[in-house]
Amino acid sequence: MTARLPALGRAHLALPVALLVGLGCLAPLAVLVIFSVFEVEDFELVPAFSGRAWAELFTTPSYWVLIGRALFYGAMTALLTGLAGYPVALALARLPAAWKGVAVVVLLTPLYTGEIVRIYAWRIVLGAEGLVNAVLEAVGLIDDPLKVLLFSPLTIGLVLLYNNLPFMVLAIWVSAEMVDRRLIEAARDLGARPISAFARVTFPLTLPGLAAGVFAVFALAAGEMLTPSLLGGTYGATAMAIIDNLFGTAFDWPLASALALALLVALFVAAVGLASLLLQTRGARAVLQRGRT
Amino acid sequence: MSTLIADTAPPLLLSARGLVKTYGRGAAPAVAGVDLDIGERMFTTLLGPSGCGKTTILRMIAGFETADAGTISLDGVPLKGVPPERRPVNTVFQSYALFPHLTVFENVAFSLRLLSAVTNLEGRVKRALDAVHMADFGERYPHQLSGGQQQRVAVARAIVAEPRLLLLDEPLSALDRRMRAHLQVELKDLQRRLGIAFVYVTHDQEEAFALSDVVVVMNKGRIAQTADPRTIYSRPADSFVADFIGGATLVDGTVSAAGNGRASIATAIGPVDAPAVEGLAAGERAVLVIRPEALSLVPTGTGLPASVVHAVYQGERTMVEAVAQGVALRFADHAPPEVGETIGLSLDRERCFVTRIAA
Repeated sequence: MTARLPALGRAHLALPVALLVGLGCLAPLAVLVIFSVFEVEDFELVPAFSGRAWAELFTTPSYWVLIGRALFYGAMTALLTGLAGYPVALALARLPAAWKGVAVVVLLTPLYTGEIVRIYAWRIVLGAEGLVNAVLEAVGLIDDPLKVLLFSPLTIGLVLLYNNLPFMVLAIWVSAEMVDRRLIEAARDLGARPISAFARVTFPLTLPGLAAGVFAVFALAAGEMLTPSLLGGTYGATAMAIIDNLFGTAFDWPLASALALALLVALFVAAVGLASLLLQTRGARAVLQRGRT
Repeated sequence: MSTLIADTAPPLLLSARGLVKTYGRGAAPAVAGVDLDIGERMFTTLLGPSGCGKTTILRMIAGFETADAGTISLDGVPLKGVPPERRPVNTVFQSYALFPHLTVFENVAFSLRLLSAVTNLEGRVKRALDAVHMADFGERYPHQLSGGQQQRVAVARAIVAEPRLLLLDEPLSALDRRMRAHLQVELKDLQRRLGIAFVYVTHDQEEAFALSDVVVVMNKGRIAQTADPRTIYSRPADSFVADFIGGATLVDGTVSAAGNGRASIATAIGPVDAPAVEGLAAGERAVLVIRPEALSLVPTGTGLPASVVHAVYQGERTMVEAVAQGVALRFADHAPPEVGETIGLSLDRERCFVTRIAA
């Protein structure tokens, strides 16, 4: 087998799974493409070609605002989790081995609770009668409850950060574990202060992890529906919610499909762009080439 | 040959006193009270088995480890509390630790770029790369280099800022035998040209002898002997040193008389009067160190009768092991006897040495 596939080497072992993933990814997309050019008559999908859905999508600015908002949420969450997650991931990588398992479990615990539970927990914490306001009032910092805590863009940002932080930390952590500690020692030995050793060695070599984290978090946050709609108030309308609405209540499957496709393309282009920007760096290239020597 | 040591001691560069380092509670100390003097321009090698504390000492000099007790001073200035980046000391790491995301040129330029005012950076990097015959590889990345080439770059990177002291942690251990021999010659040559003091860590006795002005043999966190290679070889301070240097047969015995640098020792192969370590006393247990070159074949029926148990062909000569009075003796010969044969051996006692039993 290897003799006949010299270029692939052992990579052909991954072919079955690659096929499965490819099919599982492409088939629904194909369905979306087909649905988007069908017509709807009396709440029934009719297989007759029509450009109506796409025309409506392109001529209605509010759909583009929704797609733009999804991109913004994704980018903002990627940025916030990147900033907040980096120090956490580095600290995790430096823990003694025995503590790492504990730390990872603690890090992932919020994910086990389920999204709805978490969202209502946030409402309790951030609401007008909530924990934060109660504490601030008791301390005397404020007289009236802070309204901005709930149903505001701030809430959405905060909760998206909280929900997605574990993914970012995991991605960077794996990368940080792979940075040889002797490289840091070498940098120090050659005259670099700790901060300089970080900037010149650790950071460039953990960029692949950051790229993976950005890619994952961007997609997750941009596709979030429940968090914005339940915590964001009037700012919480998302493309995802509209798609859900179009598919379900309005039964406009062609428009829903077209909007879903447009959103997907926009997200994909943005995420690939962001991640490849990070992977173009010298540090990332060095890490990715390591297996090829 | 050992004029550098014996005649004029070089000015002192680094001085360590009473170094102690223990990892983890209840563990045996990795370094258990070490005094060490490194002279300017000297090539000093810390030699010992793995776990003897030699790398720990190197890391304490570099500033990566803090001693539990003891002091290190460089040029008379105590290094306590001085972080690695502020010590005029650079290290060649065992794994080279080249920065994978930087070219060879940038790896070497790393320390210079951290200095505030560097003139002629490019020229200095080129010169360092020239010194290790890597001038044509500046644009390559470490993963595009062979092990030997990476090792050379690691050396260039460590010498470019002209440290007072260069530390080398088993820098050749990952290379094959031929490359190692080749780089030994280059390192020694480089050290002579630069005039920088080298502290070299290895577990390879041949490497230590080939490179060093001074060899420090270490055993269980302590220094067993500090001397030039010839002295280490011919006058081992104790049985550990004699055994670690290899090749010799150690025969237990009791000292019957000692003095004037000689001792008489009663052993299983008979009484022998030979040069000895200072301070032995009559009645003390000691060992007779018999080097292969102290033994020679004599016609059967004369000398010490022995029967051949092994003969290992090594090209220009054959190492023979023969048992006499229950003692296995090793020697080399060009026309070796057959295994099982009974032979006669003559012992040149002036090439033997009586030394103490290691603690």
